[in-house]
Amino acid sequence: MFFELAQLVVNGLVAGTILAVPAIGFTAIYGVLRFPNFAVASHATIGAFAGYVANVNFGIPAWGAVAFAFLIAGLSGVLNDEFLLKPLRPTGPLTTAIASVALVIVLENVIRFFFGNDLRGYDLPIFRDWRIAEIRIGPQQVENIIIAIIAMAILFLFLTFTRMGKAMRAVADNPMLASIKGINADMVGRLVSFVGMGLAGLGGMLIGLDTSIDPLTGFRAILPIFAAAVVGGLGSIPGAVVGALTVGVGEELSIVVLGPEYRSVFGFLAILFVLLFRPRGLLGERAY
Amino acid sequence: MGLLSVADAVAGYSIGEEILKGVDLDLASGEVVSIIGPNGAGKSTLLKVIAGLLNPSRGTVRLGEQAIQGLSPREISALGVAFVPQEQNIFPTMSVNENLEMGGYVDPKGAKAKISRILDRFAMLKEKRRNAARTLSGGQRQILAMAMALMVEPKVLLLDEPSAGLSPIAAEELFETIRDINEEGISIVMVEQNALEALAIADRGYILVDGRNHRSGPAQSLAEDPDVRRIFLGA
Repeated sequence: MFFELAQLVVNGLVAGTILAVPAIGFTAIYGVLRFPNFAVASHATIGAFAGYVANVNFGIPAWGAVAFAFLIAGLSGVLNDEFLLKPLRPTGPLTTAIASVALVIVLENVIRFFFGNDLRGYDLPIFRDWRIAEIRIGPQQVENIIIAIIAMAILFLFLTFTRMGKAMRAVADNPMLASIKGINADMVGRLVSFVGMGLAGLGGMLIGLDTSIDPLTGFRAILPIFAAAVVGGLGSIPGAVVGALTVGVGEELSIVVLGPEYRSVFGFLAILFVLLFRPRGLLGERAY
Repeated sequence: MGLLSVADAVAGYSIGEEILKGVDLDLASGEVVSIIGPNGAGKSTLLKVIAGLLNPSRGTVRLGEQAIQGLSPREISALGVAFVPQEQNIFPTMSVNENLEMGGYVDPKGAKAKISRILDRFAMLKEKRRNAARTLSGGQRQILAMAMALMVEPKVLLLDEPSAGLSPIAAEELFETIRDINEEGISIVMVEQNALEALAIADRGYILVDGRNHRSGPAQSLAEDPDVRRIFLGA
């Protein structure tokens, strides 16, 4: 029983670390643009397919193909925000959030148009799982964790040490003062759309590397992504990491009680409990 | 011609509901001007018009010879007019050091040297330079907000109720800091509820009532005027 639970916790930490990547993207966009952009779901799918093309069609190994996933999803994020969502922002966050849901459906069907409905797998070398004291972990999972941690570390360095990164945090912190100090909110908006959706795309590919991909890859992930962001505190980047680990481990452990078919219930329950008892989330005070 | 002049400014937050109904203000180089008046008189609105956060529907704002009404806050800040809002005037989750860096965002050249000069000048900020700004007390936040404004090496500093919500001791320290900043040659326009203190450190004062100039003159004579004392100073 102990090893079974330990295995579930390890699986949860692996899933949570990967989930943290798109959750950071979602929460960063919320922090700066002040609306929940559900199009992270379709951008996770776009990233997964961009990485698939790089990996399978161009023969680039998974660790290099993730860069394409980030880049293509990031560019799509900027274009979609600039031409479709930004014009709606003056009408309020609810309208923009609903438009982002519509965008999910449109983009999902664009992907379906080009790639069809079939499940697709990446071109990955096959390795035997590693066993450490009865606990199994796959080399690909370890590689995924390393990629996720490197992506988070780069983001942390960007936000901490670059002028652009600090400007992004300033707009998230106090948009009115940022404008008084001469920070260009439009430029920061484009930057956060690129980075946020890029991370969603990268996260989508990492999810796909662990299983397979299809046009609904991102859509299936949106509940845990949203739950991770809410649990950690919307707009808080360390919160998204803590929230993603909580949701990842919670979903795995819920299998013991509820069975695998109800694991996604954990995301709903986590949102419900956090909104009831700690509406600002676990780390809502810390935007960064 | 003064350093900053506002002539016949009319402005409001919605059409047909003007807060400022034709206000004039002049600031000479090196001066401290205090604006006092009852709530809703348009004092803060006037500062927002000067800072470019609100476009006047009529009237002009000049910095020296140049008309600056209609310019963006960024452009006005780059011309040397720094605005310190009354509330939410810091970036709470960023460190003191990063707040100063953002204060000088429009002019990043030599930012490190400017930050180190400012930290040498405000010992409290130096001590807390790595702390998140949200951990500072009310008075310390106001000092940080002013220090951020100094990062653009302004000609004019616009202060919106800097002593609001501070203890008398913290307010006294703050007014001393404002006096020191002025002695370095920076001209100051200050809106204050604390009218006696505001007039005590000002060269001249303006009293606004209902969006119009009510009285103006040397600060000392306004502070001693029995009518002004009775109506606005509660004395």
